[in-house]
Amino acid sequence: MKKRISGQKIIMYILLLLTAAMFAAPMIFTLLSSVKNKVEIFTNPFALPEVVQWGNYVEAWTNANMSQYFLNSVLQAGATVIVLAIVSSMAAYVLSRFQFKWNKAMLLFFMVGMMVPVHTVLVPVSYIIGAFNLKNNIPALIMIYVAFNLPFSILVVTNFMKGVNKSLEEAALIDGASYFQIYRFVMLPMTVPALSTISIFNFLGAWNNILFPLLFINDKKLKPIALGLLNFNGERGSDYGPLMAAIVITVAVPLIIYLLFQEKVEGGLAAGAVKE
Amino acid sequence: MIKLKSNKTKMGVLLFILPALAIYLVFQIIPIIGSVYFSLVSWNGIAGSAPEFIGLQNYIYAFKSPDFILSLKNMAKMVIVSVIFHTPIALLMAVAINTKCKGYRLFKALFFVPTVFPLTAVGLMWYFIFMPTGSFNALLDVVGLSNLVTPWLVDSSTAMNTIVFVNIWAGVGYYMVIILAGLTTIPEDVYEAAAIDGATSVKQFFQITIPMLKPILSMCILMDIIGSVKVFDLVFAMTGGGPNGLTNLPTTLMYNEAFKYNHYGVGSAIGIIIMLICIVGTVGSNFITNRKKDI
Repeated sequence: MKKRISGQKIIMYILLLLTAAMFAAPMIFTLLSSVKNKVEIFTNPFALPEVVQWGNYVEAWTNANMSQYFLNSVLQAGATVIVLAIVSSMAAYVLSRFQFKWNKAMLLFFMVGMMVPVHTVLVPVSYIIGAFNLKNNIPALIMIYVAFNLPFSILVVTNFMKGVNKSLEEAALIDGASYFQIYRFVMLPMTVPALSTISIFNFLGAWNNILFPLLFINDKKLKPIALGLLNFNGERGSDYGPLMAAIVITVAVPLIIYLLFQEKVEGGLAAGAVKE
Repeated sequence: MIKLKSNKTKMGVLLFILPALAIYLVFQIIPIIGSVYFSLVSWNGIAGSAPEFIGLQNYIYAFKSPDFILSLKNMAKMVIVSVIFHTPIALLMAVAINTKCKGYRLFKALFFVPTVFPLTAVGLMWYFIFMPTGSFNALLDVVGLSNLVTPWLVDSSTAMNTIVFVNIWAGVGYYMVIILAGLTTIPEDVYEAAAIDGATSVKQFFQITIPMLKPILSMCILMDIIGSVKVFDLVFAMTGGGPNGLTNLPTTLMYNEAFKYNHYGVGSAIGIIIMLICIVGTVGSNFITNRKKDI
C-alpha cells in the first residue's frame, strides 16, 4: 500500500517536472537569447552565451525606443488605475449605501459592459475618436481604458463595500459629517483591500492592451510598450538579440507585480470568477 | 441602506455616480448601440462622408465571403481544442499542486505567470521559437527528428494548430488558479472517510473531486469558450492572420476589414456576430449544465 502511494507520487512528480519544463523552456530561451549575439542564437540556441551581450538591452532600451514606450505605459496605466479607483469607489459608495428604486437596475446596467466583446464596439469607438479629433490624445485613451474596466471594478468594490461595517459611518453621520466626508475619510480607507485588488488588475489590463492604442495612437512618442514591442518587431524583425531583450523588458513589469502581489492576484481572480 | 428623504441630498448623492456613468455611457453604451447601427450601413471611415443605410447586406456579404467562413472554422477549432485541453490539464495541475508537494509554489507560479504577460509578448516569444530557423526546429534536429522540421507558422497545415497550442499554453494557468481555489473548499474529512473505506486516490479523484468541482469546472469551460472566441492579440502578433488569411479569426478579420480595408460596415457586422456567438455560447453551456443537474 505504502509503496503504491509513493509510486503514484513519483509519476506525479515526473509529470509535473515535464510540464514545468514546457513552461520554463520558452521563457528561459528568450532570456538566454536576450544576452546572445545573432550568430549564437542560431548556432547554439540552447547553450549559455560565450560573452554576455548586455548591449542588446542598451540597444533595445535606447535606439529601439523601449525606454519611451516603457515610460508611456507606466504613465498611461498609472493614470488609468488612479481614475478607476476614484470613479468606481464613488459609484460603489452610492450603489452599496443608499436606497434608491433603481439601485439593482443600475448595478446590472454597469454589468452589461462585461458581456459585450471589445471587437463589437471598435468601429463606433473609432468613429467617436475621429469625430472629436481624439487621435493621439492620451486622456481619451485613458478614458477608454477606464470605461472598459469599470464594470469589473464597480462590481468588486460594491460587493466589498456591502460587507463593510456601518457603525463608523453612523457615528460620523451623527457627528454631522457630510456624505462626501464620510466617503473620503471613512469609506475610502476601509475599502483599500478591494481598491488594491482592482488596481492590480487594471494596471495589468492597461499595460497589456494593444487594441485601443492600435486604433488611434500612431505617434511613436505616445505608444505604450506592448504596441511598441510589436512596432520594433515590424521595423527590425531580424535584430533578434535586442528584440528578445525588448520582450524581457515588456514582461518584466507584469512579472514583478505578480511576484509581489501573488496572493492578491490569485485571490482576486478566483473570487471574481466564483462570484459570477 | 440609507433612505434619503430630501430631494436635495438625493441629488447630492447622485453626483457621486455621475463620473462613472458619464464615462461608461460615452465609451461603452453609446458604442454598443452604435455598433448595431454601423453594421447596417456602408461607410468608408472618412470623417464627414455620410454612412449609407443598406440593411442586412453587410451580414449577407460576411456569410458569403470565404474568408469569414474560414475564420469561423478557425474559431471553432480554437474553441473546441482549447476546451478539450484547458480545463482537464488545469484540473490535473491543480490537484497535483494541492498535494502541497515539494516545490508546489514554484510550479504554481510557473504555470500561472504566462497569464499576466501581454499576449503580444507571449506571441512574439513563441513566434521566434516556431519560425523556420527557430529553436524548435533546431531542437528537432538535435534529437534526430529532422524529418519533422517545418516552418510551423508559415505552412498552411500547421499555422493554425501552432497558434491554438500557444493559446492553450498561455491560458491554462488561469483555470488552474480558479480550480485550485475550488479544491480548497472541499472538506478534508470527505477524503479521510473515503480513504478509510479503502478508496484509492484515483477513485477519490473521480468519485469526490470531480463531482464536487462540477460547478467550477463548467464555469471554467464557459469562460474558456468566450475567451477563445475573443482571442486577438496572439494571432495579431504571431501571424497577423496570415499566411493568406488562413489563420484569421473573426476578431482579426473584423480588425482587418474595418481598419485595413476601411469596410467599417462589414467590420461592425462581424463584431455583432462575435457578440451573438458569445451569447449563444453562454446560454448554450448554461442550458447543458442545468440539464445535467436535473438528471
